[in-house]
Amino acid sequence: MEIGPIVRALGRNKVRAGLIVAEIALTLAIVTNCVAMIADARGKMTHASGFDDDNIVWVRSTPFDPAFKEDGYRDNALAQDMATLRALPGVKAVSNTRFLPWQGGGSSTALKPAGGPEPLRLQIYNADEGTFASLGIAVSEGKGFTAEDTRRDTLRLRDLGKVKRTQGPDGKPVEKFQEDVVISRAFSKLAFGDASPLGKVMEDSDGDLYTVIGVIDQFYNPYGWPIHEYVAFYASSSDSFQGGSSFLLRTEPGQRDAVAKAAEETLLARNSGRTLRVRTLFDVKKQYFGPQSIVISLMGAVIVLLVLVTSLGIVGLTSFSVTERTRQIGTRRALGARRLDILTHFLLENWLLTTVALVLGCGLAVAINVGVVAAAGGTKLGPGTVAAGVGLLWIAGLLATLAPALRASRISPAIATRNV
Amino acid sequence: MLLYNLRLALLSLRRNRILSAVIVGGIALGIAVSTMFATMRHAFARDPLPGRSDHLYYVRLDSWDPLSAYPSDEPNTPPTQITYQDMVGIMRSDIPARQSGMFKANLNLFPDPAIGRPRKVMTRLCFSDFFPMFDLKFKYGSGWDKKADAGPEPVVVLDQETNDLLFGGRDSVGQTVHIEDRDFKVVGVLDHWRPSVKYYDVTQSYVQPPEGIYMPFNFLRPMQINTGGNTDGWGPSPSLPGFEGRLVSEACWIQMWVELPRDRVQAYKDYLDAYALEQKKTGRFQRPLNNRVTPMMAWLRERNTVPREVTTMMIVSLLFLAVCALNLTGLLLSKFLARAPEIGVRRALGARRIDVFLQHIVECELVGMAGGALGVLLSLGGLVVLNKWGQTLAQRDDLFRFDATMLAVAVGLSLLAGLLAGVYPAWRVCRTAPAIHLKLQ
Repeated sequence: MEIGPIVRALGRNKVRAGLIVAEIALTLAIVTNCVAMIADARGKMTHASGFDDDNIVWVRSTPFDPAFKEDGYRDNALAQDMATLRALPGVKAVSNTRFLPWQGGGSSTALKPAGGPEPLRLQIYNADEGTFASLGIAVSEGKGFTAEDTRRDTLRLRDLGKVKRTQGPDGKPVEKFQEDVVISRAFSKLAFGDASPLGKVMEDSDGDLYTVIGVIDQFYNPYGWPIHEYVAFYASSSDSFQGGSSFLLRTEPGQRDAVAKAAEETLLARNSGRTLRVRTLFDVKKQYFGPQSIVISLMGAVIVLLVLVTSLGIVGLTSFSVTERTRQIGTRRALGARRLDILTHFLLENWLLTTVALVLGCGLAVAINVGVVAAAGGTKLGPGTVAAGVGLLWIAGLLATLAPALRASRISPAIATRNV
Repeated sequence: MLLYNLRLALLSLRRNRILSAVIVGGIALGIAVSTMFATMRHAFARDPLPGRSDHLYYVRLDSWDPLSAYPSDEPNTPPTQITYQDMVGIMRSDIPARQSGMFKANLNLFPDPAIGRPRKVMTRLCFSDFFPMFDLKFKYGSGWDKKADAGPEPVVVLDQETNDLLFGGRDSVGQTVHIEDRDFKVVGVLDHWRPSVKYYDVTQSYVQPPEGIYMPFNFLRPMQINTGGNTDGWGPSPSLPGFEGRLVSEACWIQMWVELPRDRVQAYKDYLDAYALEQKKTGRFQRPLNNRVTPMMAWLRERNTVPREVTTMMIVSLLFLAVCALNLTGLLLSKFLARAPEIGVRRALGARRIDVFLQHIVECELVGMAGGALGVLLSLGGLVVLNKWGQTLAQRDDLFRFDATMLAVAVGLSLLAGLLAGVYPAWRVCRTAPAIHLKLQ
């Protein structure tokens, strides 16, 4: 098969060739940029939290019955709730904590490592003896909290909140408070480098002290500020009249929906002076990643539709070209060209156009990417993405040409003798 | 002549139905995708209060920690919200035509037991100016007055959905609702109000629907209400324990809006700086003067209420439309050229080039409009699906709405696509020389 005649034949219809080239080039540019957006969104979604996300249920109980305003009544209700939740079938661990992963935020504070230059911001949550078990993580260095730690620190914190602390001349309380904390490995590295953080002390803006007693290796909770991997947990139950109390439950695999339903019904049956909200962590995460999954679906749909439109365009233009050249094809056949020769002529012709288009398209893809990144931010295009787009369009181009080219190859030599 | 051309165009479209379907379908897809994505962006980017938004300003004060900057993307940004003590301080100013500090809180609502169990309802605590400032429309009654602000008098405004729940949609002005530990009298019911962006509070997720209940701000103290939004705090614990401690602390949790006549903006900025200088004497406001009075649309931009992905997707969708138009050019060109013998006859019988050109441009625009109409229908379908997804995102199914502006955009895009795609084929075909084709007949 000779390329020369094909190129010369193309030269006789520059506009049509130009249109196909422009269309495929632009298609490649769009497809690759869509793939880059999908990859960007997927990259965010696949970041592991380190927790047993699929088997965690979150429960929040907010009282309205004024009886809950009394500490003693609330303590009893909390103990009763914990016992009720632990007794539910399918529940492995229960914790009373304000921490809820994947809600797009939480609470934070700034702590200054003793001797360090400046306070470091980190997430901070209360925990009890069951918190790490209900997240599905373990304390890898040092120790976690016991039930006794939780009870003792809860009472100390409660007393502290009720009195006016005497302030010194610096505006800070004279008497310092000490609290044990478990921190994440990432924060330990930030604050203390590679040294073991156990026994190290940090200070808050009141001058209160936080002693590290344990480290957890896994922690990732996206936050508005770049402190996703930095955390400290302190021992305390979390329970107030206005804020209510929140629980994390870890369930046997596959039991989360059943546990969620049972938790709501049982807790309400035990004490109806409150409102309940129950969500699986699966749903919380799904909502958090809602924008990303919408981007993925939409961009996926755009890619499919675009390749479809472009393929149909190629089918249409090639069909016209076949119809227009019917007589020439008949003549070639009559002069001895085989069917295969006609088929390869059209396939090769379109392959040439596609290839030129894809080379131009690569440049256009990068140009559009640079423009988009400058205008709206986003990810830079990788060579792998471009290569994948080129492969996809090469195949789509060939497939789209196949039907009209086959039709051309079936044109009878006799046609050449008609109509002249 | 136009009618004649339209008839010719229809005839031509009917001649090869499959080809016409591919031609119209292709451009319809382009219009559908670009209209849908433009509508999406429009939901986030449109000016929620045309004509009024220029006069509304969001107020920030830099009362933050002198030792470490407020953690934000930009250094030297003041906190996004202000403290209670500063809200009380700056609301003494008589420069703003209207003003309101505000926050949201999740409060217990006790409906008639026949209606349902007690439930949490997001409530906005604000001043009487809130309603006229943000141009809220009332279905029944009205907002409250300054006297009710000062009292505070136990009055509330309900949104339409809450009124539907509690009173079956009836005029409930004068009725009583029980919230937390006391009774409130309904003074107004809002008309259906579901802006896509909650423009008066973009400190948190701004696609959530507005609050269900509005209550005078000063119930904050007697009811000891905590914010249901963000709090950013720093510094030593407050000198008072409990709820009162929070009110004298450096915790930032109140959104502050003012309405200013244009010629009073500078005066108000000067007032805030004077206020901050006064506070410096008491040891507060130790950072350099950095107070901000930001016009509403600039504030929304600063908070990135138009997600960057939405802008990128709109650009992508316009390029998609460009591919569809290129596609259309190719198909129309082939179609018109195949018809050259017929045109030869027309030309030989006296049709001028311009007549042939117009005949084909009309056909292109007809294709464009048909594709546009089909595309708008498709994009409406697409928006239904999008809004369903919006439900996991924001617990609402009316985030993206097709309005008159978007219809105009769709029609404009269709005409433009038809014209751009058709000019070259129509020009090519009108240059057909009559003689050649006549010879071949």
